[in-house]
Amino acid sequence: MTSTTSRDSAQKPRLLESRRVLTLILLAAFVGSLLNLDWTTGFIHSGGIDAMGEFAKALFTLDLSADTLTSAISASWTTVAYAVAGLTLALLIGIPLGAIGSGVLTRSPWLRVTSGGGTRFSLAFFRSIHELVWAWLFVAAIGLSPMAAVLALAIPYGGILGRIYAELLQDVPDAPLRSLRSTGASEWRVFWYGRLPMALPDMLSYTFYRLECGIRSAAIMSFVGLGGLGHEIRISLDDLAYQQVWTYLLFLIGLVVIVDVWSTMVRRRLSE
Amino acid sequence: MALLRTREPETLYSAASCSVSLTAVSKQYGVKEAIFPLNLSIDAGERVAFLGPSGGGKTTLLRLLSGQLETSTGTVCLCDRDLSTMPTGRQVSQLVGMIHQQFDLIPNLSALQNTLAGQLGEWSLIKSLVSLVWPMNRDIGLSALTRVGVEGIAYQRAGSLSGGEQQRVAIARLLVQDPQVILADEPVSSLDPARAGEVLQLLVGIAEEAGKTLIASMHSVELAREHFSRLIGLRNGAVIFDLPSHEVTEDMLHDLYNLQGLRSET
Ligand SMILES: Nc1ncnc2c1ncn2[C@@H]1O[C@H](COP(=O)(O)OP(=O)(O)OP(=O)(O)O)[C@@H](O)[C@H]1O
Ligand SMILES: [Mg+2]
Repeated sequence: MTSTTSRDSAQKPRLLESRRVLTLILLAAFVGSLLNLDWTTGFIHSGGIDAMGEFAKALFTLDLSADTLTSAISASWTTVAYAVAGLTLALLIGIPLGAIGSGVLTRSPWLRVTSGGGTRFSLAFFRSIHELVWAWLFVAAIGLSPMAAVLALAIPYGGILGRIYAELLQDVPDAPLRSLRSTGASEWRVFWYGRLPMALPDMLSYTFYRLECGIRSAAIMSFVGLGGLGHEIRISLDDLAYQQVWTYLLFLIGLVVIVDVWSTMVRRRLSE
Repeated sequence: MALLRTREPETLYSAASCSVSLTAVSKQYGVKEAIFPLNLSIDAGERVAFLGPSGGGKTTLLRLLSGQLETSTGTVCLCDRDLSTMPTGRQVSQLVGMIHQQFDLIPNLSALQNTLAGQLGEWSLIKSLVSLVWPMNRDIGLSALTRVGVEGIAYQRAGSLSGGEQQRVAIARLLVQDPQVILADEPVSSLDPARAGEVLQLLVGIAEEAGKTLIASMHSVELAREHFSRLIGLRNGAVIFDLPSHEVTEDMLHDLYNLQGLRSET
Protein backbone atom coordinates (compact mmCIF):
# COMPACT_ATOMS: atom_id res chain seq x y z
CA MET A 1 0.00 0.00 0.00
CA THR A 2 1.35 3.42 -0.86
CA SER A 3 0.78 6.42 1.31
CA THR A 4 -1.72 8.04 -1.11
CA THR A 5 -4.21 5.24 -1.01
CA SER A 6 -4.17 5.00 2.78
CA ARG A 7 -4.87 8.75 3.06
CA ASP A 8 -7.66 8.49 0.53
CA SER A 9 -9.35 5.71 2.41
CA ALA A 10 -9.08 7.70 5.63
CA GLN A 11 -11.15 10.49 4.10
CA LYS A 12 -13.70 8.44 2.26
CA PRO A 13 -15.78 6.97 5.13
CA ARG A 14 -16.73 10.39 6.49
CA LEU A 15 -18.02 11.46 3.07
CA LEU A 16 -19.94 8.23 2.70
CA GLU A 17 -21.51 8.60 6.13
CA SER A 18 -22.77 12.11 5.52
CA ARG A 19 -24.25 10.92 2.24
CA ARG A 20 -26.00 8.08 3.99
CA VAL A 21 -27.47 10.46 6.57
CA LEU A 22 -28.80 12.68 3.80
CA THR A 23 -30.37 9.69 2.07
CA LEU A 24 -32.07 8.66 5.34
CA ILE A 25 -33.48 12.15 5.89
CA LEU A 26 -34.87 12.27 2.35
CA LEU A 27 -36.35 8.81 2.72
CA ALA A 28 -38.00 9.80 6.01
CA ALA A 29 -39.47 12.92 4.41
CA PHE A 30 -40.88 10.81 1.59
CA VAL A 31 -42.50 8.25 3.89
CA GLY A 32 -43.79 11.02 6.16
CA SER A 33 -45.49 12.80 3.30
CA LEU A 34 -47.19 9.57 2.20
CA LEU A 35 -48.51 9.00 5.74
CA ASN A 36 -49.80 12.56 5.94
CA LEU A 37 -52.09 12.18 2.93
CA ASP A 38 -55.73 11.49 3.70
CA TRP A 39 -56.39 8.31 1.74
CA THR A 40 -59.86 7.51 3.14
CA THR A 41 -62.26 10.30 2.29
CA GLY A 42 -63.47 11.75 -0.97
CA PHE A 43 -61.42 9.55 -3.20
CA ILE A 44 -64.04 8.70 -5.80
CA HIS A 45 -67.65 9.71 -5.30
CA SER A 46 -70.34 7.21 -6.25
CA GLY A 47 -71.68 9.00 -9.32
CA GLY A 48 -68.14 9.21 -10.58
CA ILE A 49 -67.92 5.48 -11.16
CA ASP A 50 -70.90 5.53 -13.52
CA ALA A 51 -69.47 8.51 -15.39
CA MET A 52 -66.14 6.72 -15.79
CA GLY A 53 -67.88 3.68 -17.19
CA GLU A 54 -69.71 5.78 -19.74
CA PHE A 55 -66.52 7.61 -20.63
CA ALA A 56 -64.74 4.30 -21.23
CA LYS A 57 -67.61 3.02 -23.37
CA ALA A 58 -67.47 6.15 -25.55
CA LEU A 59 -64.03 5.07 -26.80
CA PHE A 60 -65.74 2.40 -28.91
CA THR A 61 -68.28 4.78 -30.41
CA LEU A 62 -65.89 7.54 -31.50
CA ASP A 63 -67.38 10.63 -33.05
CA LEU A 64 -65.84 10.71 -36.52
CA SER A 65 -68.30 13.10 -38.14
CA ALA A 66 -66.90 15.60 -40.61
CA ASP A 67 -67.72 18.45 -38.24
CA THR A 68 -65.81 17.01 -35.32
CA LEU A 69 -62.88 15.99 -37.50
CA THR A 70 -62.49 19.45 -39.03
CA SER A 71 -62.65 21.11 -35.64
CA ALA A 72 -60.17 18.53 -34.29
CA ILE A 73 -57.76 19.22 -37.13
CA SER A 74 -57.99 22.97 -36.75
CA ALA A 75 -57.64 22.70 -32.95
CA SER A 76 -54.59 20.44 -33.37
CA TRP A 77 -53.07 22.98 -35.68
CA THR A 78 -53.65 25.76 -33.14
CA THR A 79 -52.12 23.66 -30.36
CA VAL A 80 -49.07 22.79 -32.44
CA ALA A 81 -48.67 26.44 -33.44
CA TYR A 82 -48.77 27.55 -29.78
CA ALA A 83 -46.30 24.84 -28.79
CA VAL A 84 -43.84 25.56 -31.59
CA ALA A 85 -44.02 29.34 -31.21
CA GLY A 86 -43.73 29.02 -27.43
CA LEU A 87 -40.77 26.68 -27.65
CA THR A 88 -39.03 28.89 -30.21
CA LEU A 89 -39.29 31.84 -27.86
CA ALA A 90 -38.20 29.56 -24.99
CA LEU A 91 -35.07 28.69 -26.99
CA LEU A 92 -34.29 32.39 -27.35
CA ILE A 93 -34.48 32.65 -23.56
CA GLY A 94 -32.90 29.31 -22.68
CA ILE A 95 -29.83 29.22 -24.94
CA PRO A 96 -28.20 32.53 -23.94
CA LEU A 97 -29.25 32.34 -20.29
CA GLY A 98 -28.19 28.71 -20.09
CA ALA A 99 -24.78 29.52 -21.57
CA ILE A 100 -24.26 32.44 -19.17
CA GLY A 101 -25.70 30.56 -16.21
CA SER A 102 -23.35 27.64 -16.75
CA GLY A 103 -20.48 30.04 -15.98
CA VAL A 104 -18.27 28.50 -18.68
CA LEU A 105 -17.77 31.62 -20.78
CA THR A 106 -15.30 33.22 -18.42
CA ARG A 107 -12.26 32.21 -16.42
CA SER A 108 -12.80 34.94 -13.86
CA PRO A 109 -14.28 33.41 -10.69
CA TRP A 110 -15.87 36.74 -9.72
CA LEU A 111 -17.77 37.09 -13.01
CA ARG A 112 -18.73 33.46 -12.86
CA VAL A 113 -20.37 33.88 -9.46
CA THR A 114 -22.18 37.16 -10.20
CA SER A 115 -23.40 36.65 -13.78
CA GLY A 116 -23.86 32.90 -13.33
CA GLY A 117 -25.71 33.32 -10.04
CA GLY A 118 -27.95 36.13 -11.30
CA THR A 119 -28.86 34.20 -14.42
CA ARG A 120 -29.54 31.02 -12.51
CA PHE A 121 -31.82 32.92 -10.15
CA SER A 122 -33.91 34.37 -12.98
CA LEU A 123 -34.11 30.96 -14.64
CA ALA A 124 -35.35 29.50 -11.38
CA PHE A 125 -37.94 32.26 -11.10
CA PHE A 126 -39.22 31.64 -14.65
CA ARG A 127 -39.70 27.95 -14.19
CA SER A 128 -40.98 27.91 -10.62
CA ILE A 129 -44.28 29.38 -11.82
CA HIS A 130 -46.34 26.90 -13.80
CA GLU A 131 -47.38 27.70 -17.38
CA LEU A 132 -51.05 27.59 -16.36
CA VAL A 133 -50.45 30.35 -13.84
CA TRP A 134 -48.53 32.36 -16.41
CA ALA A 135 -51.49 31.81 -18.77
CA TRP A 136 -53.92 33.20 -16.22
CA LEU A 137 -51.65 36.18 -15.67
CA PHE A 138 -51.26 36.94 -19.34
CA VAL A 139 -54.94 36.44 -20.14
CA ALA A 140 -55.72 38.91 -17.38
CA ALA A 141 -53.13 41.32 -18.72
CA ILE A 142 -53.54 41.12 -22.51
CA GLY A 143 -56.77 39.18 -22.96
CA LEU A 144 -57.52 35.98 -24.84
CA SER A 145 -54.90 36.41 -27.55
CA PRO A 146 -52.52 33.80 -28.97
CA MET A 147 -49.75 36.03 -27.64
CA ALA A 148 -50.86 35.18 -24.10
CA ALA A 149 -50.58 31.46 -24.81
CA VAL A 150 -47.17 31.75 -26.46
CA LEU A 151 -45.71 33.88 -23.68
CA ALA A 152 -47.20 31.68 -20.98
CA LEU A 153 -45.47 28.69 -22.52
CA ALA A 154 -42.21 30.42 -23.43
CA ILE A 155 -41.32 31.74 -19.99
CA PRO A 156 -41.39 28.58 -17.84
CA TYR A 157 -40.03 26.50 -20.71
CA GLY A 158 -37.22 29.00 -21.21
CA GLY A 159 -36.41 28.59 -17.53
CA ILE A 160 -36.36 24.81 -17.77
CA LEU A 161 -34.36 24.70 -21.00
CA GLY A 162 -31.84 27.23 -19.66
CA ARG A 163 -31.24 25.20 -16.56
CA ILE A 164 -30.79 21.91 -18.41
CA TYR A 165 -28.59 23.52 -21.07
CA ALA A 166 -26.40 25.01 -18.36
CA GLU A 167 -25.91 21.58 -16.84
CA LEU A 168 -25.22 19.85 -20.16
CA LEU A 169 -22.67 22.51 -21.06
CA GLN A 170 -20.91 22.03 -17.73
CA ASP A 171 -20.85 18.25 -17.92
CA VAL A 172 -18.89 18.02 -21.16
CA PRO A 173 -15.69 15.92 -20.79
CA ASP A 174 -12.74 18.09 -19.84
CA ALA A 175 -9.81 16.51 -21.69
CA PRO A 176 -10.66 17.72 -25.22
CA LEU A 177 -11.35 21.19 -23.83
CA ARG A 178 -7.95 21.31 -22.17
CA SER A 179 -6.36 20.43 -25.50
CA LEU A 180 -8.24 23.27 -27.16
CA ARG A 181 -7.08 25.71 -24.49
CA SER A 182 -3.49 24.67 -25.09
CA THR A 183 -3.80 25.92 -28.68
CA GLY A 184 -4.32 29.36 -27.18
CA ALA A 185 -8.11 29.42 -27.52
CA SER A 186 -10.07 31.75 -25.22
CA GLU A 187 -13.05 30.46 -23.23
CA TRP A 188 -15.39 31.83 -25.89
CA ARG A 189 -13.68 29.87 -28.60
CA VAL A 190 -13.51 26.82 -26.36
CA PHE A 191 -17.28 27.22 -25.96
CA TRP A 192 -17.98 27.31 -29.68
CA TYR A 193 -15.43 24.69 -30.73
CA GLY A 194 -15.66 22.33 -27.80
CA ARG A 195 -18.50 22.63 -25.36
CA LEU A 196 -21.33 23.41 -27.74
CA PRO A 197 -20.52 20.71 -30.33
CA MET A 198 -20.11 18.12 -27.58
CA ALA A 199 -23.27 19.10 -25.70
CA LEU A 200 -25.40 19.63 -28.80
CA PRO A 201 -26.78 16.10 -29.31
CA ASP A 202 -28.05 15.96 -25.72
CA MET A 203 -29.37 19.51 -25.89
CA LEU A 204 -31.24 18.68 -29.05
CA SER A 205 -32.81 15.52 -27.75
CA TYR A 206 -33.88 17.28 -24.57
CA THR A 207 -35.41 20.07 -26.64
CA PHE A 208 -37.46 17.51 -28.56
CA TYR A 209 -38.67 16.05 -25.31
CA ARG A 210 -39.68 19.56 -24.26
CA LEU A 211 -41.57 20.05 -27.54
CA GLU A 212 -43.57 16.97 -26.65
CA CYS A 213 -44.31 18.44 -23.21
CA GLY A 214 -45.07 21.76 -24.89
CA ILE A 215 -47.81 20.18 -26.97
CA ARG A 216 -49.42 18.72 -23.87
CA SER A 217 -49.06 22.03 -22.04
CA ALA A 218 -50.47 24.00 -24.95
CA ALA A 219 -53.47 21.68 -25.05
CA ILE A 220 -54.09 22.01 -21.32
CA MET A 221 -53.51 25.75 -21.36
CA SER A 222 -56.33 26.31 -23.76
CA PHE A 223 -58.67 25.21 -20.96
CA VAL A 224 -58.23 28.80 -19.85
CA GLY A 225 -60.21 29.83 -22.93
CA LEU A 226 -57.48 30.09 -25.50
CA GLY A 227 -58.29 28.02 -28.59
CA GLY A 228 -56.83 24.59 -29.21
CA LEU A 229 -57.43 20.93 -28.37
CA GLY A 230 -57.90 21.60 -24.66
CA HIS A 231 -60.56 24.18 -25.38
CA GLU A 232 -62.50 21.71 -27.56
CA ILE A 233 -62.12 18.96 -24.98
CA ARG A 234 -63.50 21.22 -22.31
CA ILE A 235 -66.54 22.23 -24.38
CA SER A 236 -67.29 18.60 -25.22
CA LEU A 237 -66.88 17.59 -21.57
CA ASP A 238 -69.36 20.28 -20.56
CA ASP A 239 -71.80 18.81 -23.11
CA LEU A 240 -71.08 15.31 -21.77
CA ALA A 241 -70.17 14.44 -25.39
CA TYR A 242 -67.62 11.77 -24.48
CA GLN A 243 -67.37 10.46 -28.06
CA GLN A 244 -66.04 13.85 -29.14
CA VAL A 245 -63.71 14.03 -26.15
CA TRP A 246 -62.10 10.78 -27.27
CA THR A 247 -61.63 12.02 -30.80
CA TYR A 248 -59.78 15.08 -29.51
CA LEU A 249 -57.73 13.01 -27.08
CA LEU A 250 -56.67 10.68 -29.88
CA PHE A 251 -55.56 13.67 -31.93
CA LEU A 252 -53.51 14.84 -28.95
CA ILE A 253 -51.91 11.40 -28.59
CA GLY A 254 -51.25 11.40 -32.33
CA LEU A 255 -49.38 14.70 -32.11
CA VAL A 256 -47.21 13.48 -29.24
CA VAL A 257 -46.39 10.26 -31.11
CA ILE A 258 -45.45 12.21 -34.25
CA VAL A 259 -43.03 14.41 -32.28
CA ASP A 260 -41.61 11.32 -30.63
CA VAL A 261 -40.95 9.57 -33.95
CA TRP A 262 -39.46 12.73 -35.42
CA SER A 263 -37.11 13.22 -32.48
CA THR A 264 -35.99 9.59 -32.63
CA MET A 265 -35.13 10.05 -36.28
CA VAL A 266 -33.16 13.24 -35.68
CA ARG A 267 -31.29 11.74 -32.75
CA ARG A 268 -30.36 8.67 -34.76
CA ARG A 269 -28.94 10.86 -37.50
CA LEU A 270 -26.94 12.91 -35.00
CA SER A 271 -25.33 9.94 -33.32
CA GLU A 272 -24.12 8.46 -36.61
CA MET B 1 9.76 40.69 -30.88
CA ALA B 2 11.07 37.19 -30.55
CA LEU B 3 7.60 35.74 -30.73
CA LEU B 4 6.78 37.14 -34.12
CA ARG B 5 6.93 34.45 -36.73
CA THR B 6 6.57 34.53 -40.42
CA ARG B 7 5.03 31.56 -42.12
CA GLU B 8 5.22 31.05 -45.84
CA PRO B 9 1.99 29.56 -47.16
CA GLU B 10 3.75 26.63 -48.81
CA THR B 11 5.82 25.60 -45.78
CA LEU B 12 3.59 24.25 -43.10
CA TYR B 13 5.59 25.15 -40.06
CA SER B 14 8.34 27.52 -39.07
CA ALA B 15 11.80 26.21 -38.34
CA ALA B 16 11.95 28.04 -35.03
CA SER B 17 12.87 26.02 -31.98
CA CYS B 18 14.04 26.85 -28.52
CA SER B 19 15.49 25.58 -25.30
CA VAL B 20 13.74 24.64 -22.08
CA SER B 21 15.10 25.05 -18.60
CA LEU B 22 13.79 24.25 -15.17
CA THR B 23 15.37 25.81 -12.11
CA ALA B 24 14.63 24.36 -8.66
CA VAL B 25 11.18 23.34 -9.86
CA SER B 26 8.98 21.35 -7.50
CA LYS B 27 5.32 20.51 -7.35
CA GLN B 28 3.04 19.54 -4.49
CA TYR B 29 -0.59 18.49 -4.72
CA GLY B 30 -1.79 19.46 -1.28
CA VAL B 31 0.66 17.65 0.96
CA LYS B 32 1.62 15.11 -1.69
CA GLU B 33 5.05 15.79 -3.15
CA ALA B 34 4.71 14.98 -6.87
CA ILE B 35 7.99 16.51 -8.07
CA PHE B 36 10.95 17.09 -5.76
CA PRO B 37 13.06 20.18 -6.54
CA LEU B 38 14.96 19.54 -9.75
CA ASN B 39 17.04 21.36 -12.35
CA LEU B 40 16.84 20.39 -15.95
CA SER B 41 17.95 21.97 -19.15
CA ILE B 42 17.04 20.82 -22.61
CA ASP B 43 18.61 22.33 -25.71
CA ALA B 44 16.76 23.59 -28.73
CA GLY B 45 15.98 20.71 -31.08
CA GLU B 46 16.73 17.96 -28.56
CA ARG B 47 14.52 14.88 -28.39
CA VAL B 48 13.98 13.77 -24.81
CA ALA B 49 11.87 10.99 -23.32
CA PHE B 50 10.72 10.66 -19.71
CA LEU B 51 10.58 7.08 -18.49
CA GLY B 52 9.52 5.56 -15.25
CA PRO B 53 6.88 3.73 -13.27
CA SER B 54 3.31 4.92 -12.94
CA GLY B 55 2.97 7.86 -10.57
CA GLY B 56 6.59 8.83 -11.10
CA GLY B 57 5.65 12.36 -12.12
CA LYS B 58 5.95 12.26 -15.92
CA THR B 59 2.57 13.82 -16.62
CA THR B 60 3.02 16.37 -13.85
CA LEU B 61 6.36 17.46 -15.26
CA LEU B 62 4.97 17.82 -18.78
CA ARG B 63 2.02 19.85 -17.53
CA LEU B 64 4.43 22.14 -15.66
CA LEU B 65 6.34 22.62 -18.91
CA SER B 66 3.17 23.44 -20.84
CA GLY B 67 2.05 26.03 -18.31
CA GLN B 68 -1.16 24.10 -17.60
CA LEU B 69 0.04 23.63 -14.05
CA GLU B 70 1.75 26.17 -11.85
CA THR B 71 4.97 25.24 -10.11
CA SER B 72 5.04 25.13 -6.30
CA THR B 73 8.58 26.48 -6.34
CA GLY B 74 11.10 27.35 -9.03
CA THR B 75 10.79 28.66 -12.56
CA VAL B 76 10.16 27.13 -15.95
CA CYS B 77 11.78 28.99 -18.82
CA LEU B 78 10.90 28.47 -22.46
CA CYS B 79 13.07 30.29 -25.00
CA ASP B 80 14.68 32.09 -22.05
CA ARG B 81 11.34 33.52 -20.98
CA ASP B 82 9.76 32.79 -17.61
CA LEU B 83 6.54 30.90 -18.32
CA SER B 84 4.73 32.31 -15.29
CA THR B 85 5.19 35.89 -16.49
CA MET B 86 3.65 35.29 -19.88
CA PRO B 87 0.25 36.95 -19.82
CA THR B 88 -1.96 35.15 -22.28
CA GLY B 89 -2.62 31.58 -23.26
CA ARG B 90 -2.06 32.70 -26.81
CA GLN B 91 1.58 33.61 -26.29
CA VAL B 92 2.23 30.36 -24.49
CA SER B 93 0.58 28.43 -27.32
CA GLN B 94 3.08 29.90 -29.78
CA LEU B 95 5.90 28.47 -27.72
CA VAL B 96 4.59 25.12 -26.60
CA GLY B 97 2.00 22.61 -27.78
CA MET B 98 0.98 19.30 -26.27
CA ILE B 99 -0.60 16.06 -27.37
CA HIS B 100 -1.97 13.44 -25.02
CA GLN B 101 -2.52 9.72 -24.97
CA GLN B 102 -6.13 10.15 -26.14
CA PHE B 103 -9.23 12.35 -25.95
CA ASP B 104 -7.42 15.23 -27.62
CA LEU B 105 -10.04 15.90 -30.28
CA ILE B 106 -13.58 17.22 -30.26
CA PRO B 107 -15.47 14.10 -31.38
CA ASN B 108 -18.38 15.96 -33.00
CA LEU B 109 -16.25 18.11 -35.29
CA SER B 110 -14.62 16.94 -38.50
CA ALA B 111 -10.94 16.02 -38.65
CA LEU B 112 -10.35 19.18 -40.69
CA GLN B 113 -12.06 21.43 -38.16
CA ASN B 114 -10.06 19.82 -35.37
CA THR B 115 -6.87 20.39 -37.31
CA LEU B 116 -7.68 24.03 -37.99
CA ALA B 117 -8.45 24.55 -34.30
CA GLY B 118 -4.66 24.77 -33.97
CA GLN B 119 -5.04 28.36 -35.12
CA LEU B 120 -7.80 29.33 -32.69
CA GLY B 121 -5.36 31.38 -30.65
CA GLU B 122 -4.61 33.55 -33.66
CA TRP B 123 -8.05 33.86 -35.21
CA SER B 124 -10.53 36.58 -34.36
CA LEU B 125 -13.77 35.41 -32.78
CA ILE B 126 -15.69 36.21 -35.96
CA LYS B 127 -13.31 34.20 -38.08
CA SER B 128 -13.50 31.29 -35.63
CA LEU B 129 -17.31 31.31 -35.75
CA VAL B 130 -17.53 31.50 -39.52
CA SER B 131 -14.95 28.76 -39.75
CA LEU B 132 -17.11 26.49 -37.64
CA VAL B 133 -19.67 26.40 -40.46
CA TRP B 134 -17.40 27.07 -43.41
CA PRO B 135 -13.78 26.13 -42.57
CA MET B 136 -11.32 28.87 -43.54
CA ASN B 137 -7.66 28.40 -44.44
CA ARG B 138 -8.68 24.94 -45.61
CA ASP B 139 -5.43 24.56 -47.56
CA ILE B 140 -3.34 24.78 -44.37
CA GLY B 141 -5.52 22.18 -42.65
CA LEU B 142 -5.50 19.87 -45.64
CA SER B 143 -1.76 20.05 -46.13
CA ALA B 144 -1.25 19.29 -42.44
CA LEU B 145 -3.54 16.27 -42.75
CA THR B 146 -1.66 15.22 -45.88
CA ARG B 147 1.64 15.49 -44.03
CA VAL B 148 0.41 13.09 -41.34
CA GLY B 149 -1.03 10.78 -43.99
CA VAL B 150 -4.77 11.02 -43.36
CA GLU B 151 -6.00 13.54 -45.93
CA GLY B 152 -8.69 11.04 -46.96
CA ILE B 153 -10.65 11.46 -43.73
CA ALA B 154 -10.60 15.27 -43.60
CA TYR B 155 -14.37 15.59 -43.54
CA GLN B 156 -15.11 12.64 -41.27
CA ARG B 157 -16.25 13.17 -37.67
CA ALA B 158 -13.22 12.88 -35.38
CA GLY B 159 -15.17 10.62 -33.02
CA SER B 160 -15.59 8.02 -35.76
CA LEU B 161 -11.85 7.72 -36.48
CA SER B 162 -9.58 4.92 -35.29
CA GLY B 163 -7.20 5.62 -32.42
CA GLY B 164 -4.22 5.89 -34.76
CA GLU B 165 -6.05 8.27 -37.08
CA GLN B 166 -7.09 10.41 -34.12
CA GLN B 167 -3.47 10.70 -32.95
CA ARG B 168 -2.44 11.68 -36.47
CA VAL B 169 -5.11 14.39 -36.54
CA ALA B 170 -3.86 15.62 -33.14
CA ILE B 171 -0.37 15.84 -34.64
CA ALA B 172 -1.80 17.71 -37.64
CA ARG B 173 -3.37 20.21 -35.26
CA LEU B 174 0.01 20.64 -33.62
CA LEU B 175 1.52 21.34 -37.05
CA VAL B 176 -1.05 24.05 -37.62
CA GLN B 177 -0.47 25.50 -34.16
CA ASP B 178 3.27 25.45 -34.93
CA PRO B 179 4.77 25.76 -31.44
CA GLN B 180 8.51 25.74 -30.90
CA VAL B 181 8.47 23.02 -28.26
CA ILE B 182 6.32 19.89 -28.65
CA LEU B 183 5.25 18.01 -25.53
CA ALA B 184 3.69 14.57 -25.79
CA ASP B 185 2.22 12.65 -22.86
CA GLU B 186 2.36 8.96 -23.75
CA PRO B 187 1.40 9.81 -27.34
CA VAL B 188 1.19 6.23 -28.56
CA SER B 189 0.21 4.25 -25.46
CA SER B 190 -3.36 3.72 -26.63
CA LEU B 191 -2.28 2.21 -29.96
CA ASP B 192 -1.32 -1.31 -30.97
CA PRO B 193 2.45 -1.89 -31.31
CA ALA B 194 2.58 -1.55 -35.10
CA ARG B 195 0.49 1.62 -35.12
CA ALA B 196 2.46 2.99 -32.15
CA GLY B 197 5.74 2.68 -34.03
CA GLU B 198 4.33 4.41 -37.11
CA VAL B 199 2.75 7.31 -35.27
CA LEU B 200 5.83 7.87 -33.11
CA GLN B 201 8.00 7.78 -36.21
CA LEU B 202 5.77 10.47 -37.69
CA LEU B 203 5.93 12.69 -34.62
CA VAL B 204 9.69 12.36 -34.29
CA GLY B 205 10.15 12.83 -38.03
CA ILE B 206 8.26 16.11 -37.95
CA ALA B 207 10.18 17.35 -34.93
CA GLU B 208 13.46 16.45 -36.63
CA GLU B 209 12.50 18.02 -39.95
CA ALA B 210 11.57 21.33 -38.37
CA GLY B 211 14.27 21.12 -35.71
CA LYS B 212 11.68 21.39 -32.94
CA THR B 213 12.36 20.44 -29.37
CA LEU B 214 10.40 17.29 -28.53
CA ILE B 215 9.76 16.13 -24.98
CA ALA B 216 7.67 13.03 -24.47
CA SER B 217 6.75 10.68 -21.69
CA MET B 218 7.00 7.10 -22.86
CA HIS B 219 5.49 3.90 -21.63
CA SER B 220 7.56 1.68 -23.90
CA VAL B 221 11.28 1.60 -23.19
CA GLU B 222 12.04 0.05 -26.60
CA LEU B 223 10.31 2.84 -28.52
CA ALA B 224 11.95 5.48 -26.34
CA ARG B 225 15.41 4.06 -26.95
CA GLU B 226 14.79 3.83 -30.65
CA HIS B 227 13.45 7.33 -31.24
CA PHE B 228 14.89 9.63 -28.57
CA SER B 229 18.43 10.79 -28.08
CA ARG B 230 18.19 11.42 -24.35
CA LEU B 231 16.34 9.46 -21.67
CA ILE B 232 15.35 10.75 -18.25
CA GLY B 233 14.21 8.24 -15.63
CA LEU B 234 11.71 9.56 -13.09
CA ARG B 235 10.57 7.79 -9.95
CA ASN B 236 8.62 9.21 -7.03
CA GLY B 237 9.11 12.71 -8.35
CA ALA B 238 12.90 12.53 -8.58
CA VAL B 239 15.30 12.10 -11.48
CA ILE B 240 16.98 8.67 -11.27
CA PHE B 241 19.10 9.04 -14.40
CA ASP B 242 19.51 11.54 -17.20
CA LEU B 243 21.68 10.16 -19.98
CA PRO B 244 22.10 9.86 -23.72
CA SER B 245 20.04 6.87 -24.90
CA HIS B 246 22.99 4.64 -25.69
CA GLU B 247 24.43 5.03 -22.19
CA VAL B 248 21.31 3.77 -20.42
CA THR B 249 21.90 0.17 -19.35
CA GLU B 250 19.46 -2.65 -18.69
CA ASP B 251 20.42 -2.51 -15.00
CA MET B 252 19.44 1.14 -14.75
CA LEU B 253 16.09 0.40 -16.34
CA HIS B 254 15.58 -2.58 -14.09
CA ASP B 255 16.27 -0.42 -11.05
CA LEU B 256 13.98 2.32 -12.33
CA TYR B 257 10.96 0.05 -12.65
CA ASN B 258 11.52 -2.61 -10.05
CA LEU B 259 12.41 -0.88 -6.81
CA GLN B 260 8.85 0.23 -6.22
CA GLY B 261 8.23 -2.43 -3.59
CA LEU B 262 10.91 -0.89 -1.38
CA ARG B 263 9.19 2.49 -1.37
CA SER B 264 6.88 2.01 1.61
CA GLU B 265 9.68 0.50 3.69
CA THR B 266 12.15 3.33 3.21
N1 LIG C 1 -4.48 16.45 -9.64
C1 LIG C 1 -3.79 15.73 -8.74
N2 LIG C 1 -4.11 15.82 -7.42
C2 LIG C 1 -3.41 15.12 -6.50
N3 LIG C 1 -2.41 14.29 -6.79
C3 LIG C 1 -2.04 14.15 -8.07
C4 LIG C 1 -2.71 14.86 -9.11
N4 LIG C 1 -2.15 14.53 -10.29
C5 LIG C 1 -1.17 13.65 -10.00
N5 LIG C 1 -1.09 13.42 -8.67
C6 LIG C 1 -0.11 12.55 -8.00
O1 LIG C 1 1.17 12.96 -8.38
C7 LIG C 1 2.00 11.83 -8.63
C8 LIG C 1 2.58 11.89 -10.02
O2 LIG C 1 1.53 11.69 -10.96
P1 LIG C 1 1.74 11.75 -12.53
O3 LIG C 1 0.39 11.70 -13.14
O4 LIG C 1 2.60 12.88 -12.87
O5 LIG C 1 2.50 10.38 -12.80
P2 LIG C 1 2.89 9.71 -14.17
O6 LIG C 1 4.35 9.46 -14.11
O7 LIG C 1 2.37 10.49 -15.30
O8 LIG C 1 2.13 8.32 -14.08
P3 LIG C 1 1.48 7.42 -15.26
O9 LIG C 1 2.59 6.66 -15.88
O10 LIG C 1 0.55 6.53 -14.52
O11 LIG C 1 0.78 8.35 -16.18
C9 LIG C 1 1.14 10.60 -8.38
O12 LIG C 1 1.44 10.10 -7.11
C10 LIG C 1 -0.27 11.13 -8.43
O13 LIG C 1 -1.07 10.41 -7.55
MG1 LIG D 1 0.86 10.15 -16.83
